[in-house]
Amino acid sequence: MDTGVRNRKNKSSPEAEKAIKGKIEEITSVDNHNMLKESIEKLKHLNENINRDSGDGESAPDTPPPETAPEDSLTTPSPTTTTPSTTTTTPSTTRTTESTTKPSVTQKSSARQKSKNAAKSAAAAPPLELSLRLDGMSVFLFVLAFITRIWKLETPKGIVFDELHYGKYASLYMQNTFFFDSQPPLGKQLIALAAYIAGFDGNFKFDRIGTPYDPVVPVSAMRIVPAFFGSLLMPTVYNTMVELGLSHYTGALAAFLMIFDNAVLAQSRFILMEGILMFFGVFGLLCILKFRRFYHQPYSVPWFVCLIIGAASLSACVCVRYFGIFTFLLGLGILTRDFWMMVGDRLVSERQLLGHFLTRAVIFITIPVALYIGCFYVHLSLLYKAGPNDNIMTSAFQASLEGGLASIIANQPVKVVHGSQITLRHTHGRTCWLHSHDAVYPVKYPDGRGSSHQQQVTCYSYKDVNNWWIVKKPEVEELVVTEPHEPIKNGDLVQLVHGLTSRALNSHDVAAGMSPHNQEVAAYIDYNVSMPAQTTWRVEILNSELSDGYWHAVESQIRLIHVNSSQALKFSGRQLPDWGFRQHEVVTDKVLDQEDTIWNVEEHRYTRTEDKKEREKDLLRSEMIPMERKNLTFWNKLFELQYKMLFNNQENVAGHMYASEPLDWLFLKRGVAYWISANSNAQVHFIGNIVTWLSGTLSLVAYLGLFVLYLLRRQRACYDLPEDSWNKFCTFGEVLGIGYAVHYIPYFLVDRTLFLHHYMPAYIFKLCMLAAMIEHGHYLVSQHFKAPRIAKLYLGAVGVWMVSIVYVFWFFAPVTYGTTDLTADQVMSMAWRETWDLIIHKQ
Amino acid sequence: MAPNTSKSGKSTPKVSQKLNSVEKIFIKYRRCDSPQTWWIVFGVVCLLTAATRFYKVGEPEHVVWDETHFGKFGSWYINRTFFFDVHPPLGKMLIGAFGYLTGYDGMFPFVKPGDSYEGVSYLGMRVCCTAMGACLVPFAFIIVWEMTFSLPAATLAASLILFDVGLLTLTQYILLDPILLFFIMGSVVGIVKFHAQREKPFSISWWAWLCFTGSMLSGSVSTKFVGLFVVIYVGLHTIKSLWDLYGDLNNSLTYVAKHFLARALGLIVLPVVLYFVYFYIHLTVLCKSGNGDGFYSSAFQSQLEGNSLYNASMPLELAYGAEISLKNARTGGGYLHSHIHLYPEGSGARQQQITTYSHKDFNNKWLVKKWNEEPGDWEDDDPVELVKNGDLIRLEHVPTGRNLHSHREPSPVTKRHHQVTGYGENGMGDVNDVWRVEVVNGEEEEVVKTVVHKLRFVHYLVGCALMSHNKQLPKWGFEQMEVTCNPNVHDLNNLWNIEENVFPKLPNSSFEIYGPNFVEKFLESHTVMFQGNSGLKPKEGEITSQPWQWPINFKGQHFSGGKPRIYLLGNPVVFWGNLVALVCYFTLCTWNSFQIKRGYSISPNVRARRDKTLEACGWLVLAWGLHYLPFYAMGRILYFHHYFPALLFSSMLTGVILDYLLESLPSMVPQYLSSSVYPWLTGLFYSTLIYSFYLFAPLAYGMHNLDPSFENSTVHQIRWLDSWEF
Repeated sequence: MDTGVRNRKNKSSPEAEKAIKGKIEEITSVDNHNMLKESIEKLKHLNENINRDSGDGESAPDTPPPETAPEDSLTTPSPTTTTPSTTTTTPSTTRTTESTTKPSVTQKSSARQKSKNAAKSAAAAPPLELSLRLDGMSVFLFVLAFITRIWKLETPKGIVFDELHYGKYASLYMQNTFFFDSQPPLGKQLIALAAYIAGFDGNFKFDRIGTPYDPVVPVSAMRIVPAFFGSLLMPTVYNTMVELGLSHYTGALAAFLMIFDNAVLAQSRFILMEGILMFFGVFGLLCILKFRRFYHQPYSVPWFVCLIIGAASLSACVCVRYFGIFTFLLGLGILTRDFWMMVGDRLVSERQLLGHFLTRAVIFITIPVALYIGCFYVHLSLLYKAGPNDNIMTSAFQASLEGGLASIIANQPVKVVHGSQITLRHTHGRTCWLHSHDAVYPVKYPDGRGSSHQQQVTCYSYKDVNNWWIVKKPEVEELVVTEPHEPIKNGDLVQLVHGLTSRALNSHDVAAGMSPHNQEVAAYIDYNVSMPAQTTWRVEILNSELSDGYWHAVESQIRLIHVNSSQALKFSGRQLPDWGFRQHEVVTDKVLDQEDTIWNVEEHRYTRTEDKKEREKDLLRSEMIPMERKNLTFWNKLFELQYKMLFNNQENVAGHMYASEPLDWLFLKRGVAYWISANSNAQVHFIGNIVTWLSGTLSLVAYLGLFVLYLLRRQRACYDLPEDSWNKFCTFGEVLGIGYAVHYIPYFLVDRTLFLHHYMPAYIFKLCMLAAMIEHGHYLVSQHFKAPRIAKLYLGAVGVWMVSIVYVFWFFAPVTYGTTDLTADQVMSMAWRETWDLIIHKQ
Repeated sequence: MAPNTSKSGKSTPKVSQKLNSVEKIFIKYRRCDSPQTWWIVFGVVCLLTAATRFYKVGEPEHVVWDETHFGKFGSWYINRTFFFDVHPPLGKMLIGAFGYLTGYDGMFPFVKPGDSYEGVSYLGMRVCCTAMGACLVPFAFIIVWEMTFSLPAATLAASLILFDVGLLTLTQYILLDPILLFFIMGSVVGIVKFHAQREKPFSISWWAWLCFTGSMLSGSVSTKFVGLFVVIYVGLHTIKSLWDLYGDLNNSLTYVAKHFLARALGLIVLPVVLYFVYFYIHLTVLCKSGNGDGFYSSAFQSQLEGNSLYNASMPLELAYGAEISLKNARTGGGYLHSHIHLYPEGSGARQQQITTYSHKDFNNKWLVKKWNEEPGDWEDDDPVELVKNGDLIRLEHVPTGRNLHSHREPSPVTKRHHQVTGYGENGMGDVNDVWRVEVVNGEEEEVVKTVVHKLRFVHYLVGCALMSHNKQLPKWGFEQMEVTCNPNVHDLNNLWNIEENVFPKLPNSSFEIYGPNFVEKFLESHTVMFQGNSGLKPKEGEITSQPWQWPINFKGQHFSGGKPRIYLLGNPVVFWGNLVALVCYFTLCTWNSFQIKRGYSISPNVRARRDKTLEACGWLVLAWGLHYLPFYAMGRILYFHHYFPALLFSSMLTGVILDYLLESLPSMVPQYLSSSVYPWLTGLFYSTLIYSFYLFAPLAYGMHNLDPSFENSTVHQIRWLDSWEF
């Protein structure tokens, strides 16, 4: 490591300004001669930029963050009273100290253990010396954060907000019951693991927010997972800031702001995903930034460790929430940018470049994919029992779960034959079954169009005896299974006879009730009005290769093509009005290739008796013939689950009382009520620390303003900042500013109900930016304007401001922890803005 | 617009000793050293454009696709009937003007696509729209010429647009698209021409092109809001040129400021003023009540001739004892309504239903009472007491004598909200009937006013606010709209205004003076338009076109189902060629920056040519991206024809890239081929393009008497993809 560090040219200490000469000599040691000449010329030319320390952008492959020299910390402001025992750092050492101070039983920590070993073995090798020094500041921040987080962790002893979901998922993991959620499972698994270790058996009904927990629920074990990750976030942020070239005090300030923010606290105290999400995201970024340090030791152990842990942590972030993809992309962006800098380094040959590119690509493809699939593998192998909300999945998927549909269809015949009684399920999208009932289409619709006045055919979302149809070959008359069986193959013509009313599925050139551009589908009634029956349908099996061309129950996905019009039977998505009992409309459509034309047989049995009465009785009973079945593979299940997760638009809770708009988040317009005690005004209200919050927004504006100002001045060749300060200003802006933007702006495009807590990942970046801007402000006052008195005043102001932050934190702590009973007046005194809807329900 | 014949950076092709006449022509064409050559080529392009666009412009003689909307809007302008549409007015006004000028009387109803035009003079509108659409080709020619000064590039770009069947189809009918595309391309022509005048700033032509750009920009935004993308494009272009001016230390800051102000004047102030002017015309011309009234507020409606609020006079201030009707202030909100029917078993308390109803009705009348006094307690000669902001009141339903009431029971449809009922008898109810009136942004103690004030009724005990939205009640509620008490007091659906106010003791005043002025009407039109736009969401099960399908020409759009059939589909050669060109561009770009970053030595000739091409392409790719990528983020329903603005830029890009490749080729092939490879490839390209146009032209000009199921028909042969449904 040392060799690499020595090669660094830019020590950011202000003293460096003194010695251009020495700097030039340093450059000589690394760069080739021509580059040196160029650099010297440039240095002479721009004499304002004494501090310009590397050649042009092409010779210095990247602007690595400055080493942390001890003098550095002496000259920088001291906002906190604690002196950090500095320094040094490979990511693994820092992590190690923490994981040893706070032993915890999560998957992550064992991974860290491994990386520690790797680091140790690296330390043994002579040229790569790793100093395993304890980073006191990191430990201090972690401990402080952890204490604030676990204080009275058990209270409130009731379901707080989304614990409703995550707690329920954990209990379903315990009971191995399948559930559907449109977010990936890693975070839920971590919580479930903690619950499992604490001996939870899943026997608790998470029915609504506020329900008190039974003693059997290991609340603190489950809550400690987010609390732990949320506390680890603090040292990670601290190190990230240092890695970005900011001082240790700034790093500590950023962590301080986060520790004393009520929103970050609330989000990492309860069973919620944000704490975990934010930690993985920031930790991944930290690794990617650390990776820059090992530029001159490619393929060394720490080089690999940084890259691999970075990739793993960023993909873990995606595995907690899909939104983490933005953090992942940010990390990838930083990596690409650094690589592009390397392209400009002519000491690296093209073959080496290719090698570097491939290594990075391989690591950033295999690790995320493996981790992602891995957590789904665990997910699907743990959840093997059918549960209450699995009918969003296809019949084949449901059949592969234990119990539920599988037990209903366990012994049913596989091959659909002439005389089969079936229920036809709309395979993708809304769950419903082809249905008909003893009611006809209205003669005239309100808009004046007429209908065929035949029996309605609909798609019904519940199981019902009217969902049964009998498959009939047009040329065979009797409605029983013939011996030998006449199986239906791909391309065969069939008729479908409704079980209870014995009318055949029909379509004709009559506009459908709700979708006039499609044909109506009806169960045919012979009215003798020159409307002939058109009841033949061709069976098209989409996955016929799975079943040798035969129509199989459950697994075959079919399309029914109406022979006379060559149109396909389709679920139109529209709901029928009252005359259709609000069931869904079924039509035929000339566009064959679409998802809503796909159907599959779900329940299936053979008709044994010809007598109509008997048959009806048969339908109402159920009699099965034992036959064997096969299961879905992991990959099939994964693909289906993925598809449903990404494309299933879950019904939105429109207009939730505490929903908010992205623009409201900037100024903390409103919070979210998380929990309220049943017998007092004690409550948890999710709201941030308003002082930090507004200062953060201000700092973003200040950064943008200053950046534009500097840029405008530079374009006119006025270089206000020395080159290294300017680089530093750009580097942290690049990561923090862009980081903020990619975590915030996408929400403007999202079309769903949003809450304040969606802002949290972006908020982390905002707080870092705030700390960085405070350092920059101090730099401007003390270095640029050379006003030591004002600088002292500035530091004093920062101190006062910090005290006010702690005060506000303390003031709102009752509604963040939810442990104290409040009087109505106390609650009122907290509603600082009219829009903060704290709850008073006991006077 | 005499061409600038300087051709910096263009490699001179090797001139061999013996040249046949064809090669001579080609060299002349490639060098373009006389204005004459330029004009000849430009003339040919224009002639071909006119020929293809106006051929069969009158067919089919029935309403095609969205002509049913835009033709109708045109008629309404002629009849001066107010309507509501999600797009700004300029395009429709132009259509109306075209119709008016060519003798269309505005009487044709445009009911649905396929209605025959017999005896209607629709041709004028079509020809004018087509003419605007035809301008795209010469525009493209000029843009590419100004960007590259290469005649072959300009010709290639123009011909790609000329021979695209989709553009031909889209610009032949009475639609907004030809107008929009015209303005978009016009803006780009303006900005490149303006850029070309940079050597002589503040000259007359400089100002002229600046103003031209500004007016074209306002045109594109006031035709459809997607015109904003070209505004962003022009904005970026301007920022870049200002940035360069500013960075040149020879220019004094005052000089830069002058440039900045001039551009602000031409590209910001002028378009904004024009935009206002268009709206002013729109709102002045449409002065009669029509089917769009319901989308607008009571105050707005009071200015429409024929509306029941027009010239109405009633007391301005609300007094206790007045009979009023309340209208929900959101777009399309109904009147607060009640009737003698009760809520059914299972939906909260079995008390009288409260709904909103869109029509005026006797059951919409409410009596305003004090929270603690009945009207009977008053003497006739008591002074009139006015309702003030923050007062506690009760509202009694006049026909049934029940009070507006709410309590902690879930609403019938929106379970999170509280149920609102009619309660009590002859005005005697309980304490749950008390509501606090709040005037939005009102002063304390301000008197509540009819029509002009937006009000919120907050339930005194529960603290929720009276709300209505467009969710219907089931059959028991006669499918009227649900009314609830919303715990989220700040919801925008909670706002109401008083529409009718009957109180004999107060003097009536006419509402004309309180009617909104132009700026308020302008703002209201915009909120209504944006709400309408975001309301255009695809329903469950509906097939919508998706942005990824567009560049690959995956699926077209039916224009006319009758005879002849018209189907909007791009020329696959153009579409797929554009994709190849995009890939070429990105490869070239990456390769070029890689070479520069690695410090490769590139001959100055090649470098200059490359820089020029890449700069032009960079701007075109930017324009393409700006007109294409935002659609991925749009939640509203999308159609294939939304891609066509982007297609124009993509085609121009192809022209530039193709020219670059063709020019580079001669140096890559053996010596003896180098002089003939260029003509051959050019010829091959044009013949492919024209042949594909010939093949697909029936889609645009109409497919007659073709049975698609017939295996050997021409239509069957050109159905290259299964997803094309003609």
